[in-house]
Amino acid sequence: MDMNFVTNLILASVRMATPLIFVSLAELYSQRAGLTNIGLEGLATIGSLVGFMVSLLTDSPILGVLAGMMAGIIVNMVFAYATISLCAEQIVYGMAINIFAPALAAFIYRVYFGSGSSLVQVRLMNTLASTMGITPSNFFARLLLDQTFMVYFAYALVIFTAIYFNKTKSGLNFKAVGEHPKAAATLGINVIRTKYIASIICGALAGMGGAYLTTCYTTTYVDGNIAGRGFIALAAVIFGRWSAGGVLLACLFFGFCDALQIRLQVASFGLPYQFFQMIPYVATVVVLALIGMKKAGPKSCGKPYRKEER
Amino acid sequence: MHKNRLFSVLVPLISVLLAFLVGCIIMAALKANPITALKALWKGAFGSTRNLGTTLARSTPLIFTSLCACFAYRCGVFNLGGEGQFLMGSIACCYVATQSGITGLPGILLCLLAGGIAGGFWAAIPGLLKIYRGQNEMIISIMLNYVATLFMGVVYTNWLREGSVPQTMAVPNETKLTRLFGLRCTSAFVIAVVIGLLIYYFLFNTSMGFQLRAVGLNMTASEFNGFAVKRFILFSFIISGVIAGIGGSAELLGTQFRLINGFGAGYGFDGVAMALIAQLHPLAAILVAIFFAALRVGSTTMQAATGVPTSVSEIIQALVIVFTVAGLALVKLPEFKAFLERLFPARKEA
Repeated sequence: MDMNFVTNLILASVRMATPLIFVSLAELYSQRAGLTNIGLEGLATIGSLVGFMVSLLTDSPILGVLAGMMAGIIVNMVFAYATISLCAEQIVYGMAINIFAPALAAFIYRVYFGSGSSLVQVRLMNTLASTMGITPSNFFARLLLDQTFMVYFAYALVIFTAIYFNKTKSGLNFKAVGEHPKAAATLGINVIRTKYIASIICGALAGMGGAYLTTCYTTTYVDGNIAGRGFIALAAVIFGRWSAGGVLLACLFFGFCDALQIRLQVASFGLPYQFFQMIPYVATVVVLALIGMKKAGPKSCGKPYRKEER
Repeated sequence: MHKNRLFSVLVPLISVLLAFLVGCIIMAALKANPITALKALWKGAFGSTRNLGTTLARSTPLIFTSLCACFAYRCGVFNLGGEGQFLMGSIACCYVATQSGITGLPGILLCLLAGGIAGGFWAAIPGLLKIYRGQNEMIISIMLNYVATLFMGVVYTNWLREGSVPQTMAVPNETKLTRLFGLRCTSAFVIAVVIGLLIYYFLFNTSMGFQLRAVGLNMTASEFNGFAVKRFILFSFIISGVIAGIGGSAELLGTQFRLINGFGAGYGFDGVAMALIAQLHPLAAILVAIFFAALRVGSTTMQAATGVPTSVSEIIQALVIVFTVAGLALVKLPEFKAFLERLFPARKEA
């Protein structure tokens, strides 16, 4: 095992963890307001497609990411309206989003590109190093400088989220909505509005996580490119114990599994490559099985909130 | 009560109409005549006995996965792993059919049994983790879907691969399920319907089925009443996996004959969608599955006739579920009930 393998593995882990960080933070904001949204996979799918198309049309990956965010918000508003205003069951509706959004994405792709078209490719977002016109040589320079804007943004967002939920009044109010909405309402917090804001943030971040895959990671869009990351992100929130720092560590771990999987496939050990591809999924199951349910998440998660009800 | 039952039929029907309306708007936007397209859709799905047979054949795996989702959710646990259980069933079935050398009726029965056991085993993993580790059964069952899909990949690209194409060898002719009346629809459809009837009988006519539904409706209350809640959860998970596993075997022996890339893809989530539209009623689930299959089969004819891509039918299916779930929540809102009472005050007095 040479140094190159290890450094490449670490660099790839950071790249693979980034979409998971976005999607997990999306779920964190949603659950902190008492909304368990299992529709992340769908939101990321639509974000990924819209991000791909817009960056193809405008030749600007940044615009692609923004468009992916918008798409995520729009689709998540359907979820928000149904679960907040109509009090539909969150799990059930999240599932509906998971079925609806990929179908929509597949349809748009077919209509726009035709079914038998050749692979369309987009330009990926530049890394900081290439924007500055330098080629980093050693490992630390590559780790710190050879990353896209999205990676820095993801880490900034983790820090912001940690401070927001623990140190600011607004963040504590936000958490109160997830723990005990009625008590929060008696303190003058607008529960419904908080939940809608949470849904907007959730849609934006999940869409962004999806768009990362088509603007920073691969140059093409294929159906099913999210490959369960939406659900792994759900596991990351549980694994990270609903805290921003914990979620970051969980995402880095799952990102590492994903990177390891790709590296091992390349190395091959005479085993069918599918066994390596299983690693992230098996790791998720094992991690969840090991940690068990010592501490549950925000207490009002999954329960509808109705203002008139006493 | 009477009103609730009316709504549980009315809401899905209205949702279907709305979904078709949106579908027509999309078709018109694609410069196709919606009426012609819908006519082609109908003709493709039900226009002749041959097409009807194809529709029923397509509905068969969907019936299995929707029954799988129904059964687990009746007990209050969400089995999103129908696809993985379906695939594990078909893999076990493929091994028995191609490697054991047993053919004919005993072979078929053995294949179905192996598929059921494999599906049940695959479903037992999230079930056990749920009851012993209190862990989220949805995430685990979904992760196992991906593992099963990749495992099937190993089987058709490596272990049972035949020739240069990545696919397994075909099941022997004597083990294939018989076709009904020479149509594409096989005895697998009959098996699916029989399982649906059995589940209906079990859930609504036996004391154990009653207890299982009670656990699904209120776990805490059931626990206080001395029901073995954990045992019911594990049981419902395993049975739902068995149903999916048998479905995978039946699909392999009846329609596909070999494992290949894309086998069974999406059937698990489709099953959940259909179960939700059917509101967990096993017999309604069969009807919804036939409806979904009709959309899929008909959309091919529609594409040939009008150039509307087949994925429109997927949008329509997805909209049906989005509308139905929202609609069912809407009719339960107190505001909606008050609105209805204002609308029909006389009927309430009578």
